[in-house]
Amino acid sequence: MSEEPLEPTGTNVEGEAPDAEPTVETEEATVTDDSELERTLGLAGGLAIGIGTMIGAGIFVFPGLAGAEVGTAATASFAVGGVIALLVALPTSELATAMPKSGGGYYFISRGLGTLAGTVVGLCLWIGLVFATAFYLVGLGFYALDAFAEVGISIGGSPGLLVSALAVVFGVGFTVLNVTGTENAAKLQNAIVALLLSMLVAVLAFGLLDSLGFVDAGTPAEEATDVWSAVPILSVAALVFTSYLGFAQVATVAGEMKNPGKNLPLAMIGSVVIVTVLYVLTIFVATSVFDKDSLADAGETAMVEIGRELLGVPGALVIIVGGLLATMSSANASILSTSRAIYGVSKDALLPKWAARINLRYGTPHVALAMAGGPVVVLAATRQVQLLAEVASFLHLVMYGLICVALIAIRRDEPEWYDPEFRVPGGDVIPAVGAFASFGLIAFMDPLSIAVGAVLIAVTAGWYFYYAGDVNLKGAL
Amino acid sequence: MTSNVLVPVKILEGGGVSPGLMTLLGTVDVTVLGYHELPEQTPPDQARSQYEEQAVSALEDLEQEFRSAGGEADHRLVFTHDSRQTIERVADDVDARAYAISGVTGDVDSLLVALSGDVAVDRVVGFVKEVVGDRSIAVTLFVAGEDAEAAERKLEWAEEKLEGSGVDVDTRFSVSGSPFQALVDAVKGHDAVVVGEKAPSLKELVFGDEAEKLAEASVGPVLVVRYDEYLDG
Repeated sequence: MSEEPLEPTGTNVEGEAPDAEPTVETEEATVTDDSELERTLGLAGGLAIGIGTMIGAGIFVFPGLAGAEVGTAATASFAVGGVIALLVALPTSELATAMPKSGGGYYFISRGLGTLAGTVVGLCLWIGLVFATAFYLVGLGFYALDAFAEVGISIGGSPGLLVSALAVVFGVGFTVLNVTGTENAAKLQNAIVALLLSMLVAVLAFGLLDSLGFVDAGTPAEEATDVWSAVPILSVAALVFTSYLGFAQVATVAGEMKNPGKNLPLAMIGSVVIVTVLYVLTIFVATSVFDKDSLADAGETAMVEIGRELLGVPGALVIIVGGLLATMSSANASILSTSRAIYGVSKDALLPKWAARINLRYGTPHVALAMAGGPVVVLAATRQVQLLAEVASFLHLVMYGLICVALIAIRRDEPEWYDPEFRVPGGDVIPAVGAFASFGLIAFMDPLSIAVGAVLIAVTAGWYFYYAGDVNLKGAL
Repeated sequence: MTSNVLVPVKILEGGGVSPGLMTLLGTVDVTVLGYHELPEQTPPDQARSQYEEQAVSALEDLEQEFRSAGGEADHRLVFTHDSRQTIERVADDVDARAYAISGVTGDVDSLLVALSGDVAVDRVVGFVKEVVGDRSIAVTLFVAGEDAEAAERKLEWAEEKLEGSGVDVDTRFSVSGSPFQALVDAVKGHDAVVVGEKAPSLKELVFGDEAEKLAEASVGPVLVVRYDEYLDG
């Protein structure tokens, strides 16, 4: 490797070259030749992005689906997911402090492993986020349906169709809001996340007291047995891993974070730890209140029934409101991240430059937002909760695995510019286990999800050879 | 050493600097801070790649105009989600003595200098002295919201310092009503205002920066002499 960072070279099919501006990173700004980019996000903002994206549809939709498969053993599935997320969050933190730039996982992989892996991951991140957002929106649709039922509006005919319609309406709504909204929504997002956390903690605390026998809310005794064996637990872990997508989104705003050397690792690792604890407790409570069979009956909105069982109608309402807020904040945060992901690859000439254009009227990246919102709406209309969630997880897991590999590769032959403020302890053990676990979890998914994911990877690799085969990004800062 | 004044300009939203302010600042050095505030959906880097060229050329023009008005000038360009944070950071960075909120004005012949409240009077007066230089700009010193005796003492002290260097000084104070409203009323008949930045207080966090509200109410430019933690605190 050279002493100085390399410049990206080559052009794509349209003759566009990567936009590489030499920069100097300080704690407060990124300084280029002619301008400065202010870092405005603090630790709280970073945590809100991580937690806000993660605590979304996942925890409000999966307890029913996961509990139906394995009962109380689903706590282990969520714990496995959390451990894998942590194994990936550590290497991601090291890379992010060495390269605190927008683009996140895509950036590290394209620089560490080269353009092919970069293109696949960059485009798969976009598509993966689209699947994840669609999943959040379907969750939102189910919760909205329950909200209607709770306030006494009965839905005749086909509730499924209504869920699709709601998901589509909200998908279009969030996209339009992101294109036209110039009000700073960050504070609102932070407040929503704080509100959500306190609601969950309150219901959980009561549920825990009940499960452990300190108070008796009159919940029925369990009958169906739990499935405590590795394969089902892991396959449920593969399903529910979608609930952990989001910590790496913190890295997509790395370029906007104040004091990135300290705040990036704290925000990423902190949000993983916080949500893991919360998830495991939630599932424990959920599966203690209901057994497998009743969870299966309650389905996507089983959490509402759990709230009702514990605290009556107010409990159900708290969970419905929480579910609506959580799915909204996840969907909104994901649409934002998607547009960041598209910008990252378009800047490097892996997608046409016009994809990153900013709208003159609102100052927002309308093309990228449309490229996020458009496919989201189509996918959300399918209502395939499990497929959407698993494909999203698949594509993210590929990226997570490759982030770990990229870290090992960069460390093998450490370039001069590589000077992370945070280093993962224990040599290559954590990234190696992280990569193995990420790729390994994929094997436990539904075959259909694996097939869809594999096709998407093949398509994005094909795009590289057609569109950007001459672009070289490896080692270029 | 000549003091530096930071002039923040919304460079891509038609923000400009009135000729009167340029002439007024001809006696000091100026850093023009061109900034562009972005909604959170837009990464600052994305805006940079699209708007940098246009912004730099506008800034270079402004810088040139400040130079021809007299003092040294340079520029900074920042893309940000939070312009207040940016202005603070760059002001610290270039060690700015004051920053200017550009308003509309022709030639500045009269200056209102507000010394009300807990501001560093000697720093404000020193800055006014430097800006006025040997030009014939009439200065009105103003205090509101303090009892008559304290106000007179403060004004007398400041007047003495300024008159010693040949500046034409007048004094005025108001003891009744809201100090801010009294200041806005006093601005009438003056071309520009100089105020001292106060230590950040709870009230300011709640009601927004007084200087900005003053600029809105008075239309003309406002020069804010910065609060200095080390010197004033």
